[in-house]
Amino acid sequence: MKGYTGKILLVNLSSGDIHDELIPDSIYENFLSGVGLGAYILYNRIPAGADPLGPDNILGFVSGLLTGTPSFVTGRWMAVFKSPLTGGWGDSNCGGTLSPAIKQCGYDGIFFSGISKELVYLYVDNKGAELRSAAHVWGQDAVTAEENLIRENLKKKKPAVAVIGTAGEKVSLISGICNDGGRIAARSGGGAVMGSKRLKAIVLVGSKLIGCQDPQTMKAISQEYASKVRKQNLPAVVSGSFLPLMGKVMGGMKRAAPMDGLISALLLKRWGTIMNNTLGVTSGDSPLKNWGGSVVDYNRSYYKNLNPDRITNVEIKKYHCYSCIIGCGGVVDVSQITHGEFSQTHKPEYETCAAFGGLVMNKDLNEIFYINELLNRAGMDSISAGGTVAFAIECYENGIITKEMTDGLELNWGNAQAIVALLKKMIAREGIGDLLADGVKVASRKLGPQSSLYAVNAGGQEPGMHDSRPDPVLGIHYSADPTPGRHTIGSEQYYDVTHLWEKVSWAPNSGSYVKADENIPSEKVALKSVANSCYKELTDGVGGCMFAMVTGVNHWKLFEWVNAATGWQKTPDEFMVIGKRIQTLRQLFNVKQGIDPMSFKMSSRMAGEPPLLEGPNKGKTVPIEAMMHLHWKAFGWDEQTGIPTQETVTQLGINELCTEKVQ
Amino acid sequence: MMTPKRPEVDYKTCMACGICVQACPFSCLSLDRFDIDALKKAYPVLISPETCTGCGICRTACPVDSIQMLEQTLIAVN
Repeated sequence: MKGYTGKILLVNLSSGDIHDELIPDSIYENFLSGVGLGAYILYNRIPAGADPLGPDNILGFVSGLLTGTPSFVTGRWMAVFKSPLTGGWGDSNCGGTLSPAIKQCGYDGIFFSGISKELVYLYVDNKGAELRSAAHVWGQDAVTAEENLIRENLKKKKPAVAVIGTAGEKVSLISGICNDGGRIAARSGGGAVMGSKRLKAIVLVGSKLIGCQDPQTMKAISQEYASKVRKQNLPAVVSGSFLPLMGKVMGGMKRAAPMDGLISALLLKRWGTIMNNTLGVTSGDSPLKNWGGSVVDYNRSYYKNLNPDRITNVEIKKYHCYSCIIGCGGVVDVSQITHGEFSQTHKPEYETCAAFGGLVMNKDLNEIFYINELLNRAGMDSISAGGTVAFAIECYENGIITKEMTDGLELNWGNAQAIVALLKKMIAREGIGDLLADGVKVASRKLGPQSSLYAVNAGGQEPGMHDSRPDPVLGIHYSADPTPGRHTIGSEQYYDVTHLWEKVSWAPNSGSYVKADENIPSEKVALKSVANSCYKELTDGVGGCMFAMVTGVNHWKLFEWVNAATGWQKTPDEFMVIGKRIQTLRQLFNVKQGIDPMSFKMSSRMAGEPPLLEGPNKGKTVPIEAMMHLHWKAFGWDEQTGIPTQETVTQLGINELCTEKVQ
Repeated sequence: MMTPKRPEVDYKTCMACGICVQACPFSCLSLDRFDIDALKKAYPVLISPETCTGCGICRTACPVDSIQMLEQTLIAVN
């Protein structure tokens, strides 16, 4: 075996037909597995103009090429689909134990088409697959339904379950797919697609072995990585109260330079992603007050409550996703602070803390704990939900949403009780919640053009909690990626720690540079964003986690692991061609579905229009259109339209590999 | 009397990645030990030795070779 199984499972929910399909080696050699395999299947098989919530959409659950091999931090699964939120390519990934479970059932991916007449879940074990009634768990939140499905299917091996909550059942366009007790592949509306198919869950109980070509070499690489990560431990004297100062220094620096990416493991091991809670506010990384405010508004009296030590103080245990040696996850005891409704919740991620902290001007940490569990169980994306609540507050403050429309809720900045009440309405699609349950773009269209200024989005998707004004490469990815609004693809900061230039011949060396120069469109900046994109597609093709990715290519050795797993002898440059091929195919998917790439351009606020008047991002602007054009050109796509050129399509061999031909 | 071999985890080298837990066909291992390091990380422990067949899949799967398969001595009780 070469790390992959060479087989996918196809389930037609309309007809009930379930069958295997073999995938040739050449597909893995050109697209890897994971997102690449997903792009190959969906590009060829979803017809142009397909309704994302109709039977023609395909929802795939894919594992990674390295998942299940003796490699580290390669256990993420990915949902792939046509996004109902953006109208284009949709994907979203998550950790936990689902990714190896897909492979242990003998598949690299499970793909659903059609719409079921009944409420169903898919059960798969070593012997086969079948659709079973989900009527008894429909209406249950994601955590409860998962517990029940595990209990009723527990024989020898503990099942792995992916499941939608009530938000997905109600086809909220900002709902995701959950696993491992409320972890969530949240972005781009995968939960809505699953709900539209009347598919509540997949339950995986396989125990097949996953082989690779050269396990000893793989283990040697893993042991080297383990020895480095093991040493990354912050001294106990360093507390969370240092972080705001660190952020202030970082935000004020005029120059930047590459750093060793292992520093991220240092911080993640101690706190997890919440290490950015206060650092992000003072550095200018966190968008505040719906992208219209600064640390002058969300000042210390607010952000001190989000000190990550306050969260780890109630952390009762840490956990790792499958195959992870960094371990940013944790469980916190919230029995005393969530109105008695929940006893525990996953340690909230930074994204959730920021979306329901500074973005909505809330300083009540206890309500963030509550919101975290509420959304995890409902299966609603906390980034999009936070962005939508911030939009609603600003509409309320400006008289576009009235008190009558909210059934009496006073949607003022930082009114945590009103925010919780609004979220419950969104999850249940009640009253104003129905209008907001599909994100800011849909809501703004219903409320009228006067609300559009407050609908901060890129291509219909609410952006991640990282500000593009101090990091314009992030803005390029928000606007020019086939999945717009995503903070996980690339940024200047990611690039500087990944050190791609040390292995990839064409990736520019950042060196020491003036930060303000990055806000000026240039071919060098465009090459960085292209390199980020290609490498992220490789990471998503192997099931990798971006937190390992940012430890750098000299530590987390993706290229070397894949060669050892498969027996290939590819150079880093050859791998990056695969990344370029995957990204180009995702872009072609959007073109096929009628998306104008320029329509994904991020909202004007995200580009600093109008410029902020205070704080570390004061006056910073991003000439985003010019940057998108240069990014497309550097990718070999048409500089003006963003459509991949015939020359690039030919160079990448896409017409030879795909049944859907680019004319 | 000697039983079939059982996995023993070397916690000095174990990275708490959970690969062994997922590899086990019978869910004999679980990430249920929290007393190994100051961070309270979840480490693997054999929770159902009676179900373990001693197959060694967990040992093979471990990327850092932290698992040994050792014979266990059965001690008669009463």
